[in-house]
Amino acid sequence: MEIKVLGISGSPHRHGNTETLLDSFLEGAKSAGAVVEKVVLKDLSYTPCRGCNACHKTGDCVIQDDAITLFNKILEVNAVAVASPIYSMGITAELKGLIDRGQYLWARKFVLKTLFFPNDHIIRHKGIFISTAGLSWDNVFDAAFPAITAFFNGIGFEYYDNIIANNMDVYGGINKHPTALKEAFDKGEKVVRVLEKLTADIPEEKKKS
Amino acid sequence: MPIRILAFAGSPRRHGNSETLLDWVLASMNEDQNVEIEKIPLTEADINPCRGCNACETLNKCVQRDGMDIYHDKIIEADCIVLSSPIYCMGLAAQVKALVDRAQVFRSRKYVLKLPVVPPERKGKRLGLFLSTAGQTWDYVFNAAIPSVKCFYHVIDIKDADIRYLMINGVDEKGAIDYHPSAQADAIKLGKNTLAELKKRLDL
Repeated sequence: MEIKVLGISGSPHRHGNTETLLDSFLEGAKSAGAVVEKVVLKDLSYTPCRGCNACHKTGDCVIQDDAITLFNKILEVNAVAVASPIYSMGITAELKGLIDRGQYLWARKFVLKTLFFPNDHIIRHKGIFISTAGLSWDNVFDAAFPAITAFFNGIGFEYYDNIIANNMDVYGGINKHPTALKEAFDKGEKVVRVLEKLTADIPEEKKKS
Repeated sequence: MPIRILAFAGSPRRHGNSETLLDWVLASMNEDQNVEIEKIPLTEADINPCRGCNACETLNKCVQRDGMDIYHDKIIEADCIVLSSPIYCMGLAAQVKALVDRAQVFRSRKYVLKLPVVPPERKGKRLGLFLSTAGQTWDYVFNAAIPSVKCFYHVIDIKDADIRYLMINGVDEKGAIDYHPSAQADAIKLGKNTLAELKKRLDL
């Protein structure tokens, strides 16, 4: 089975440290035979969640824009690598804007109970968080993880791994980091191998459903 | 000179729980004649996300021309800056995060260009309030929002000890906060205490 990997770049800064790290992950996935695609959030047109809670009644978002198109795409792939630099101790407003728009999936799961991801679906869908930070602090990513956890939970993906690199200001950029790009490439390759094995394990009758 | 309170209502849902909490705090402050309050709903504020261009590190200003042009000056002029946000997906609402990230210009001014953010005579006199509500009842539901809030206040020269918090969990549907046992009383108390502290600091 063909493994599809989607990269989502949440940085407003094109081809900066975070997107470069994402690119390395996607190259690794491609080298392992996956079909990869990258979406750059700053090139999309979507508004933040309005908090109207209409989705709690209908299961659909009242705003039909690029965010919904992207969620539809996300639900079709086997792995999602979501990337954001750390700004002010959190993910960027662009990525937070996308994640907040996933509320309609949360409503389907927990309010309307029309959507359910069984465990064997979740373990076959892997979510990877990719991030860089200028600061050297070990805790610089900590406040980003809960929103990423919420995102992967919402879309029915297992929060599989982090590829994170801090201290960019001292290294002078990701290209000068001793291990991060190689780690990202290797993890891209590895997740495809893991997914190939997991999807191969599905009995034929289950694949059809 | 009046005490100037600048409040950002961060929720995209107007007059919901986090804005109600904010309104309670502001109303208790407004009982004083010498207070000037401005409330800005972020949904109407036209604040774009930070572009991450780092130009402010050399220009000392943002390259974007939007609502932040006005709020930049107001943030400097205020004696107390109040930020309210609901918790969405374990963090600040995206609109609030955009405001926090756009404070990058103050960060560049303070830490890169080493210039004052507020005039020396006002430094250490300002206060910051963070008000938040969350639908979930988990006690840790606010934890991931706080580091970003601290960043916002630090770069506008309001240090940790000068930030006050009022965070109410377990209020989800619009109006739920009206039924919370202590939220309104705590909000009124916070408003009054903040005002008393500001008066002391400003020798009023």
